[in-house]
Amino acid sequence: MQSLLRATAWVALTAAAGIMPAMADPIRTINLFTRPQAAQPSEYQFVELIAQEWRKLGLDVNVQVMPWEQMSEIVWFKRDQWDTTAWQMVGRPERSDPDEIVFNLFHTSTAEKGFNFIGYNNPAYDALVEKQRAELDPEARKALVREAQAILAADQPNMMLVHPKSTYVYNAAVWKPESVVDQGGIGIRNTWTYMSLDPAGDKRDIVLNSSDTVRAINPLYISGGTDSWITELLWDRLMRVGPDGLPQLWAASAFEWIDTTTIKVTLREGMKWHDGQPVTAEDVKFSFEAAGSGEAPMYGPFVRNITGIETSGNDITFKLANPSAAFLTASLAKINLIPKHIWEPVIEDQKTKDTNAESYQEATPIGSGPFKFTSWTANEEVVLSANADHFNKPKADRWILRIVPNVEAALGMLKSGEINFLADFPGDPSVLNAAAAADPNLKVVSTVDIGFRYVAFNHRRAPFNDAAFRNALSAAVDRRLIVGAAFKGFAVPSNSVVSPALAFWHNEETGKMETGVDKAKAMLAAAGYTLEGGKLHYPAGVTETLK
Amino acid sequence: MKAFSAIGARVIQTLFVLWAVVTILFFLFRLMPGSPLAAYIDPNFTPEQQDALMARFGLDKPLWQQYFIYLGNLLQGDLGESFFYRTSVADRIFALLPNTLILTFSSLILAYGIGVLAGAYLAWKRGGAVEQIAIPLVLTTRAMPEFWLGMILLAVFSFSLGWFPAGGTRPPGADYPTLWSLYTSADFWRHMTLPVLTLAIYAQGLPLLLMRSNMLDVMKEDFVTMARIKGLSSYSVVIRHAARNALLPVMTSFAIAVGYQIQGNVVVETVFSWPGLGRELVRAVSASDYPLAQGAFLMIAVVVIAMNLVADLLYAVLDPRVTRE
Repeated sequence: MQSLLRATAWVALTAAAGIMPAMADPIRTINLFTRPQAAQPSEYQFVELIAQEWRKLGLDVNVQVMPWEQMSEIVWFKRDQWDTTAWQMVGRPERSDPDEIVFNLFHTSTAEKGFNFIGYNNPAYDALVEKQRAELDPEARKALVREAQAILAADQPNMMLVHPKSTYVYNAAVWKPESVVDQGGIGIRNTWTYMSLDPAGDKRDIVLNSSDTVRAINPLYISGGTDSWITELLWDRLMRVGPDGLPQLWAASAFEWIDTTTIKVTLREGMKWHDGQPVTAEDVKFSFEAAGSGEAPMYGPFVRNITGIETSGNDITFKLANPSAAFLTASLAKINLIPKHIWEPVIEDQKTKDTNAESYQEATPIGSGPFKFTSWTANEEVVLSANADHFNKPKADRWILRIVPNVEAALGMLKSGEINFLADFPGDPSVLNAAAAADPNLKVVSTVDIGFRYVAFNHRRAPFNDAAFRNALSAAVDRRLIVGAAFKGFAVPSNSVVSPALAFWHNEETGKMETGVDKAKAMLAAAGYTLEGGKLHYPAGVTETLK
Repeated sequence: MKAFSAIGARVIQTLFVLWAVVTILFFLFRLMPGSPLAAYIDPNFTPEQQDALMARFGLDKPLWQQYFIYLGNLLQGDLGESFFYRTSVADRIFALLPNTLILTFSSLILAYGIGVLAGAYLAWKRGGAVEQIAIPLVLTTRAMPEFWLGMILLAVFSFSLGWFPAGGTRPPGADYPTLWSLYTSADFWRHMTLPVLTLAIYAQGLPLLLMRSNMLDVMKEDFVTMARIKGLSSYSVVIRHAARNALLPVMTSFAIAVGYQIQGNVVVETVFSWPGLGRELVRAVSASDYPLAQGAFLMIAVVVIAMNLVADLLYAVLDPRVTRE
């Protein structure tokens, strides 16, 4: 009798155990967002590839194509309404310091409304990136930044794909090849190149293209990528991010950390504004105060840490609220130096209005930079001319930016000589190699970018809150396939948000990632996910809440 | 007195149309998916900045309130400030509108000049070998997409032969202090040739076919037969008698064509990097730059409405019968 009862109980238990997997819900159809093929051919291609690999795991994947404006509205403003999306970070000189990326993209404080739109929440990670931010010793900080990358590699909050290669072309019959500067993580389209381009013949104007229009030429408004090419040439900064990715002295002739929250900077002597007035320490102080005045909201975050600025002779002393390792790159190499005699009345006037300094467009912008403003024709071109009084005066005569929305026409213009520097080519880069093969004067230069492409997982929605699930999805896709098929070889595989172009900060260990559909299936099985009727199900006991 | 009230009615009607356009545009753009803040998304984009931008753009108020503020500003001649450029919408539009108008009218005048003459000629040569070749050819040009035709012209005349520049209104860095000095320069006309050709080749089909069919109708009329009987020369019959009468509907179609042509400009301005309003319009719409998109569409609506008015008035001059009641 007893043994019979025991047997019955055993049968009941095993039956229950047998039923358990059936009690788990199948995973709903997963949406994957991408921008249209016409606008972002590489993105569309890799999304199709990824969807195909994920389907092999037993997932229903629905690729949703939408323009950027629509995609960003959902991902950014409706944070609980999406599953996965392709996303892109572009490389900029200031991002040569990893702080902006490792902190703002993953720290909990930016999850609700900031750039941690995926909702990643890891207290250990938070503590680590806060610590690297305050660590002024580069070697100690390097170890922390590498540790942060290791945590990301283990957690896979995003599915990192590639660092693209920035590819630009110049005409070697016009510019001496040795005068072209290849900036690490940025490519040859950079301020250093424009200052050093040396004419090979009698053509002395740098004529380059952009497919984007110029919005504003304003030192207090971060208005767009193309606009930043212009502001970097017209306005100097105390420091500049050098071709090696590290900050170097520019309008400053020296700097010294007095203690962990005090830095003294000495202004270079003999600098002049484009209107002939001298650049003073007062101008420098004013520039940082204007950025923090509330009338230049885009620049506000870069000076928020400054609590006081004092000047004495040519010295400017910044007092900081917290120690900041990125201060040289993120603040001193970011804030444009602007003449107080021009901007003080503007800022005062704007304080009385409901607009701000971003709405103020100088008829002739005045900076102290290596190029001076000449003219701006709406949606057609911007002309700058070399500033012969600058401490690093350019070798070219003029810098002429042509707005060319038609990509094929831009390449045609390069071949015909209408432009001599192809600075923006959103099309298939292998076309550029073909053009260079046909004309030996056209030199193509590709550089691994600081920026990266990835697929973001929404941690607010199961199953993406499960690190094992994210790891499996990430492991399902061989990045070499993405590099070859979607980027035509113009990219390197990536498993870290810190680009290998930033050799000092990059953690090579992250690159040792095994991929393959079988491996991914094994990872899912180990984490308790089951396949039934070819459909992937949650681990036992987990129910689908989002149908 | 009667004429006065007719003009008054016409003005009220025009104002009503404009109000309807403004209202539809206002709600249309706000119903589209996409946020004007999308352009600013960046790791340094803070929640405070987002709120400040919404307030700055006036998007924190209820929709009806935004609508009345917009209408009120419009009545004072204020088109607002572009979200994207942060500067006056009116300044932006008036900087670009002349480039679009000169392209539109040059191409239309060319298209109508060729179209009307060729249409009259084809009607005269009805049933001949010329017609066998010309009509399919005209239909082909009508069927060619403008962006495709533009790219072909670029590939042939700019990239292969090097006869014309590939884009813009002037050579790099060329200094033309005023619009007038630019428009009267040889540089400008060289730059304008390919875009004008593209638009004209596409646009000539309508006046040509219209003129031809009108001519065929008119040629059957008694007064044409009468003219022939009088022994007038073919030239006199075709041009002085028939063509003048067949021209009337073509004139009306010109006014309507202005509207269509501005639409075609959107494509051609992109292909030839032409700094016009059409390109700006596309950008403004895709970036949810409501004030600029509304302003640009409104300006195009004004041009089209004005052209219709001109066509009506011109019609009265060309054919006095329409003014009699």
